[in-house]
Amino acid sequence: MSDRSEADRLTQETTFMRLVRRPEAGAFIVMLVVVTAITFASDFKAFNALGLKNNIAIISQFGIIATGAAMLMIAGEFDLSIGSMIGFAGMSMAMMLKWGLPFGLGEATPLTAFVLTMCMTLFIGWMIGTIVVRSGLSSFIVTLAFLFFLRGLTEVCFRLINQSTQISGLPDFKEESWVAWILGGEVFGWVYDLWFQLGGNINRRGEQWVDGFDARFLWWIVVAFCAWFVLSRTQIGNWIYATGDNKDSARANGVPVNKVKIGLFMFTAFCATMFAACQVYDTNTADAAKGNLMELNAIAIAVVGGTLMTGGFGSVIGVAFGAVTFGLVANAVFYIPWLDGSFYRVFVGLVLLAAVFANERIRKRITGGI
Amino acid sequence: MTEPYLRVENLVKKFGPFMALNGVNLEVYPGEVHALLGDNGAGKSTLIKTLAGVHQPTSGQLYIEGKPVNFRSPRDASDAGIGTVYQDLAVNQLMSVTRNFFMGRELKGPLGTLRMAEMDKIAHDEMLKIGIDFSDPTQAVGTMSGGQRQTLAIARAIYFGAKVLILDEPTSALGQKQQMEVLKTIKRVRKRGDIAIIFITHNEIHSQLVADRYTFLALGQVIGAGKAGELSHDEIRRLMAGGAEMKDLEGELAAI
Repeated sequence: MSDRSEADRLTQETTFMRLVRRPEAGAFIVMLVVVTAITFASDFKAFNALGLKNNIAIISQFGIIATGAAMLMIAGEFDLSIGSMIGFAGMSMAMMLKWGLPFGLGEATPLTAFVLTMCMTLFIGWMIGTIVVRSGLSSFIVTLAFLFFLRGLTEVCFRLINQSTQISGLPDFKEESWVAWILGGEVFGWVYDLWFQLGGNINRRGEQWVDGFDARFLWWIVVAFCAWFVLSRTQIGNWIYATGDNKDSARANGVPVNKVKIGLFMFTAFCATMFAACQVYDTNTADAAKGNLMELNAIAIAVVGGTLMTGGFGSVIGVAFGAVTFGLVANAVFYIPWLDGSFYRVFVGLVLLAAVFANERIRKRITGGI
Repeated sequence: MTEPYLRVENLVKKFGPFMALNGVNLEVYPGEVHALLGDNGAGKSTLIKTLAGVHQPTSGQLYIEGKPVNFRSPRDASDAGIGTVYQDLAVNQLMSVTRNFFMGRELKGPLGTLRMAEMDKIAHDEMLKIGIDFSDPTQAVGTMSGGQRQTLAIARAIYFGAKVLILDEPTSALGQKQQMEVLKTIKRVRKRGDIAIIFITHNEIHSQLVADRYTFLALGQVIGAGKAGELSHDEIRRLMAGGAEMKDLEGELAAI
């Protein structure tokens, strides 16, 4: 009889192998390839002063909602209502700013419009979560219902109150309201100032070209950092993983599975509202069609970032890499003249399929091929 | 004679019109292995789920150290010192050993952060105590063998203060060598002397290897009970088959 034990059968891995096995490894490699390809194909235009700002803007948008979608997927649920929630939140804020607060509460300020809208969307998120956990129905169907319901409601409200499905020409609140400024203004201006000092970032007249990034860049960093911290470093993070992996065993060990899920449905609603708020206060417009198909982009980015469709596994860092990849490709048509814009969707389809296969392989390696 | 840690008196559990348990009595003593035997559908699962706080009894009473208790949730039962290791073990495959060990009862620092280094060390030490040396607590549970997972679940229950350890068919899905590992683990826990073990099994050989006391269930009722020395091998086999005479069953088999 040998004195080998079960523990001896697990070979020690090198640091490199550990890195390769991490969920974000694939997303990181894809991002490197895309960044390199777009840099050269656009003749460096994608990363000049304005190009960087515009790319970061869309990357941040993707990043905010994909973080929410990924957290929820790790807990084993989907939210297809993200896109409609963006439209709903944008409509709500713009309508309050134009027509005043509901129930005759008087003129709206950017602060009250934002807070009231956030309360509504968080409540809808809570309601979706409660329906899913109480009924035990698939979140796919429940949130699909809310995809239609919220989009329809948005259009109905627009037509009834506003007579048109878009609002434009709102006054610019950024000068007088700090809320509008932190949501729709500019951040990290020092980066562009420094760039100008160093001799770049100059327009045709020889002045400083770009002043700063869109505020949503900061919000993306805040949302992603908080999500990463909660997921990997806190008790709630452990609960999220446990809920998505096997909710029955999580429940048997005292994890409040239902609360975790409801909380995460509220988190995706929060992310959608932040997306909408940044858009409304930046452009001072709203449109009933805003956020269309964003839920599917968010899920695609989460999957490409290494999140398992079946839950229990994923990484916020990988999702950030995925957002960079998708944002760059979505914008690539503006920097590469010969590129057809629809190649974005071709790319998404191919990368998504590859990512699902890669994730499945990772899952099998972790669970020992089951 | 010592007092039983857990006593079950006249336990009745109905699911609508279905009588799952019909007046079950049970006494569990610290430092003993109590084998709970019975065929499929005898009510074993309902009984342990009631003890674990998953189901509430229709009538009857549970006593812990002589005091009547009511469990409204699994939390209540685990606070009262009842640790259940289910057949599916309640482990999550994609999560690390440590994260599984502390699932739902994490050690928290400021802002709800996890004290990971401390948790890693405790998980490793507790596993070592009942016989598995784990070099890497960050390893995913999915890579562990069935016997190791069983050990993890048992170590977890003990660490979180189980005075009654309910093991739901811990040997049923394992290979020969791993079954023996689990039986060894049971013996090690028994040797501590302060923990009562309820060992549910289909396997009469396994039960005879470790059990001090037996209770046999059939169709929701106790059809026999006794200490290890008092029951003969044939009697155990007869009661395991739900009271049917083994000879009759063998006769029926031979007739086909």
